[in-house]
Amino acid sequence: MRELQDTVKALFDKGEIDLFIGYEKGTRTPRPFFVHKAEDAENLIFDAACSGNLAVYLTRKDLTGGKKTGISASYYALKSIAQLFDENQLKAENLRIFGVSEEGSVQFFDSVAAIKQHLSATPPPAKPDEDELVGKINAMTASERWKFWSDELSKCFKCYACRAACPMCYCTKCIVEVNRPQWIQPWASTLSNMEWQINRVMHLAGRCSDCGSCGTACPLGIPVHLLTHKMSETVKEHFGVSETKENVLSTFKPDDKENFIH
Amino acid sequence: MSKIGVFVCHCGENISATVDCESVANTASQIEGVAFATDYKYMCSEPGQMRIKDAIREKGLDGVVVAACSPRMHEPTFRKTCAEAGLNPFLCEMSNIREHCSWVHEKSGETTDKAISLVRMLVEKVKRNKPLNPIKVPITKKALVIGGGIAGIQAALDIAGAGQKVILVERDPSIGGHMSQLSETFPTLDCSQCILTPRMVDIAQHPNITLYAYAELEKLEGFIGNFKATIRLKAKSVDHKTCTGCGACMTKCPSKKIPSEFNEGLGMRTAIYTPFPQAVPNKPIIDRVNCRYYTTGKCKVCEKICPTGAIQFDREDEFITEDIGAVVLATGFNVLKPDFFPEYGYGKYADVITGLQFERLASASGPTMGVIRRPSDGKIPQKVVFIACAGSRDPAKGIPYCSKICCMYTAKHAMLYQHKVHEGESYVFYMDIRAGGKNYEEFVRRAIEEDGAHYIRGRVARIYEKDGKMVVKGVDTLLGAQQVEIEADMVVLATAGVANGGAEDLAQKMHVSYDPYKFFAEAHPKLKPVETNTAGIYLCGACQAPKDIPDTVSMASGAAAKVIGLFSNAELTREPTIAVVNRIATHDVSTCVGCFLCETACPYQAIEHEEIKNRNGEVIKTVARVNPGLCQGCGTCVSFCRSKSIDIQGFSNEQMFAEVMSLVAEY
Ligand SMILES: Cc1cc2nc3c(=O)[nH]c(=O)nc-3n(C[C@H](O)[C@H](O)[C@H](O)COP(=O)(O)OP(=O)(O)OC[C@H]3O[C@@H](n4cnc5c(N)ncnc54)[C@H](O)[C@@H]3O)c2cc1C
Ligand code: SF4
Ligand code: SF4
Ligand code: SF4
Repeated sequence: MRELQDTVKALFDKGEIDLFIGYEKGTRTPRPFFVHKAEDAENLIFDAACSGNLAVYLTRKDLTGGKKTGISASYYALKSIAQLFDENQLKAENLRIFGVSEEGSVQFFDSVAAIKQHLSATPPPAKPDEDELVGKINAMTASERWKFWSDELSKCFKCYACRAACPMCYCTKCIVEVNRPQWIQPWASTLSNMEWQINRVMHLAGRCSDCGSCGTACPLGIPVHLLTHKMSETVKEHFGVSETKENVLSTFKPDDKENFIH
Repeated sequence: MSKIGVFVCHCGENISATVDCESVANTASQIEGVAFATDYKYMCSEPGQMRIKDAIREKGLDGVVVAACSPRMHEPTFRKTCAEAGLNPFLCEMSNIREHCSWVHEKSGETTDKAISLVRMLVEKVKRNKPLNPIKVPITKKALVIGGGIAGIQAALDIAGAGQKVILVERDPSIGGHMSQLSETFPTLDCSQCILTPRMVDIAQHPNITLYAYAELEKLEGFIGNFKATIRLKAKSVDHKTCTGCGACMTKCPSKKIPSEFNEGLGMRTAIYTPFPQAVPNKPIIDRVNCRYYTTGKCKVCEKICPTGAIQFDREDEFITEDIGAVVLATGFNVLKPDFFPEYGYGKYADVITGLQFERLASASGPTMGVIRRPSDGKIPQKVVFIACAGSRDPAKGIPYCSKICCMYTAKHAMLYQHKVHEGESYVFYMDIRAGGKNYEEFVRRAIEEDGAHYIRGRVARIYEKDGKMVVKGVDTLLGAQQVEIEADMVVLATAGVANGGAEDLAQKMHVSYDPYKFFAEAHPKLKPVETNTAGIYLCGACQAPKDIPDTVSMASGAAAKVIGLFSNAELTREPTIAVVNRIATHDVSTCVGCFLCETACPYQAIEHEEIKNRNGEVIKTVARVNPGLCQGCGTCVSFCRSKSIDIQGFSNEQMFAEVMSLVAEY
C-alpha cells in the first residue's frame, strides 16, 4: 500500500500526472478514487477486494480529457487497457500505467508490449464461483437453460449499469440507441432484454477481459457476467488469444474451427 | 408519401404459368405508398419499357419496382429505362419473382402469395432508396505484367501494341519461361525457340515496354486504376548499362560446375551467367550463392576480364515504385521435382528423368545438342519408357486434377525419340489419352500408328535397377491386368504440373484468391476466366492451371484485351453501392468511435483513417473512412460495426430491416 501511495505522490511532485485513478476504502467494498493532488495519495488502497475494472474511466473524456493520467490496474484492468490500445482508444504519451499485485507491490509498464508480455506470463486469477455456476448452467437441458435466463432477464429494467461498468462499452452511440432501424426494442421486456444481452455479449467477443464488472454492477443481481465469462472461455478454446489487433469475429483463418456450427 | 410504381412481368409464360401476375399487380396497388401497379407479358421489351417510362412521367413516380427476373439479368436494362424517363436509376429495384419463385414452385395460390411478399419487400426497400450517382475514379494508363513466360510476353506485347505503357517484371535473369526450355512443340512440331525468341526480342525493343528482369514484386497497394507497385530489383552485380554482353567473363569464371537451371541440371553453368544464349536481356548476372568471391572473398576474375568495367560486387537490391492502372498475373507453373516419386526412383537413378529434362535432351541447343543420350553414361538409349500421369490424377498424392498437357507432350516425346533413334523402342504407360483440341487426337494417333510408340494402358508400380537397366514393373489393364515388365535404358516421367514456387506468397501480397493447389483463382470459371476477384488484377497462362501454349496465348490476349478496354476510358465509373461511414448533424461529427476493427475485417483494405478537426485545425476525433475506389460493397464491415456507424449505400441497414419487417408484419 505504502509503495503505491509513495509512487503516486512522487509522480504528482514531479508533475508527471494530473490525475491518478485508484481505489479508496468504501462502506462495504473499496470504491474508485480519483486523486487530483499529491496529499490525497495517502488514501489510496489496493487489495484483493478492489475488483471494479478501473480501465472504464480511461475512455471517459470528461474525466481524463487533456490530463496526464495514472492508473493502478488489476490483472483484468491491464487486459482491458491492452485491448483499448489495440482499438485505438488510448494514447501512450498521456498515460502512466501501474500494475498492482494483491500484496500491493507496484510494477510500472512503459508500453503495451510490456503489458501484453506480463499478461501472457501471468495466469488469470481463478474464478471458482463463476466456474461452478457456469457448470450448473451447462448441465441444464436447453429448455431449463432457456427458462433460467428468461427468468433472470425478465427482471432487467434496462438501466444499462452493466454497460456503464464495462471498459469496452465506450461507443458514443450504442446499438441500443440506434433507431434507424431500431434493432433492439427500447422498452424492457423479456424478449427485448434478451436482444440487449445477446448483442452485448456478441459485441464483446474477443474483446472482453472477463473482469465480471458487469455482473457486479447490476442492481438486480442478474449474473450477466456469466454470459461474458462463458463467451470468453468459448472464444479462447476455439480461437485462442489474438496476438495482434485482429479480432476473432473480424478475421478468418483457413484453420478456424467450424465444429460449433450445427 | 412515396409514389411507387410496380411493374409485374409475365416473362412470356416463365412467370405467369405458376404465378397469377394480375393478382400480384392488384395486391401491390393496395400497398401503402404504391401509386401505380400493372402487369405485362414482356416488361423488358420496347413496349414494356415504354409502359414504365410513361407511368414515371404521367404519375410522377418517385420509385420503381420491377417484379421479373434476376437483377443480374435485367437490372441495368430497367435502371436505364428509368434514367431515360428522368428518374434517378438507383430508385429502381428488381424483385426476382422468376428464379426465386415461379421457377422453383408449382402453380398455386401460395406461389402467388410468395410473389406478393417478394414485391412487398422491395416496395418497402424502394421507399427508403436514395438517389445515388456513379463514382468516378481516375485511371493510370500503365500496366504491370508479372512473369515473363509466353503468357506475360503475349499480354505485354498486346497491351503495348495498343499504345499503352507496360512494365514487365520477371523473376529470373531472362524472360522466356518454360517455353524457352522446350525442344519442339505439339501439335505441329515447330521449334519452340524459333517461334519464341523473336517475341522476346520484341519485348526488349518495344518503346512502350520497360522490362525488369531479375526483379520481383515487393508490394502492391491501391486499387483498380490506381495501384502503386513496389518492385525489388535484385542485385545483379553487373551494371547492365555498361555491360555489352560480350560474354568474356563467362568463359573465364572458375566456378563452372553449377547445375544449370535452364538445362534442368543436365548441363553446367558458371557463377556469372546468362541462362541461355538467346536470353533477353542478354547480359549476365552473378549468382552470389555460387560465386567464389562472395563465398571465399577471393577471385574477382570477371572484374579483371571485363573490358568495360561493368562488374560491381558491392551492389545491393534496389526498390522502385511505379504508378499502375492494371496488373496481369502471368507467373506460370512448375513440374513436380524429386522425392515425390520414391517408387519410381527419381533422384536415385540418374536415368529416371522428368519430361522437362527430356525436352532439354531433345533440344538442338541443349546439353547433348539434340542427341538423346541418357544422363548416367551418355549412351543412346535403345528402349525408353514414358510414364504419363506421374503424380497427376492421384488423390492419394494430393493431386486429384489432370495436368492437361502431359498426354500431349508424352506423345510428342515418344515421337521425337522415334525420329531421333530409328531402331529404338518406346513404351508409354497411360491412364487415358486426353487429346481434345484441334489436331491433337491426330497427333497422338501419328505417334502410335506412324512412329510405332507402344501404348500400354496401366499404372507403373515400381522401377528398380538391374545390370544397368531400369526395370519397369506395371500392369496392362486392357489385357486383364496382366503384369508387364520392361527393361528400359531410360524412363521419362510426365510429372504433374503444379503451382509455381512463391505463388501463395504473391497471391497474398496482391489479395488475389487461389485454389487448394495454390493456382490463382479466376473470378468466374466460365464468364470471367481472365479476371481475378480483385478489380483491376487479371491473370493468364499456367498460373491459373496447367495449360498448353495455344491456351496460354489466347488467355494472355484475353487479359490484355481487358486491360486495353479498361484503359480506353478516361476515368472509371463504379456502382455507388459501397460502404460509407456516417457523418451526422453538421457533417463533421460521426458516431464512429474509431476502433478500426472494421479495418481488420475488410477483405479489400478499403478502410482508411480520417481525422476530424475543429476550426482551429485540432484533431477532435479519428474515424474510419471508406476508400470508394477499393470498396467492393461486400458489407463485411457493416455487420461488424458495433455502433452501426457504417452502411452500404443502396443496401442500408434501414432498408434491409424494412424488407424483413414487411414479411414479419404479414404473419
Ligand atoms: C515437359 C513439358 C513439355 C511441354 N510441351 C509443350 C508443347 O509441346 N506444346 C505446348 O503448347 N505446350 C507445351 N508445354 C506447356 C508450356 O510449357 C506452357 O503452356 C507454357 O510454358 C505456359 O506459359 P506461362 O507463361 O503461363 O508459364 P511459364 O512458362 O511457367 O512462365 C512463367 C514465367 O513467370 C516467371 N515468374 C514466376 N513467378 C514469378 C514472380 N513471382 N515474379 C516474377 N516473375 C515470375 C517465371 O520465371 C517464368 O519466366 C509443355 C510443358 C512441359 C512441362
Ligand atoms: S445492469 Fe442489469 S438491469 Fe441494468 S441493463 Fe444490465 S442486465 Fe439490465
Ligand atoms: S466504423 Fe464502426 S467498426 Fe469501423 S472504426 Fe468506426 S466504430 Fe469501429
Ligand atoms: S463493404 Fe466490404 S469492401 Fe467495402 S469497406 Fe466494408 S468490408 Fe471493405
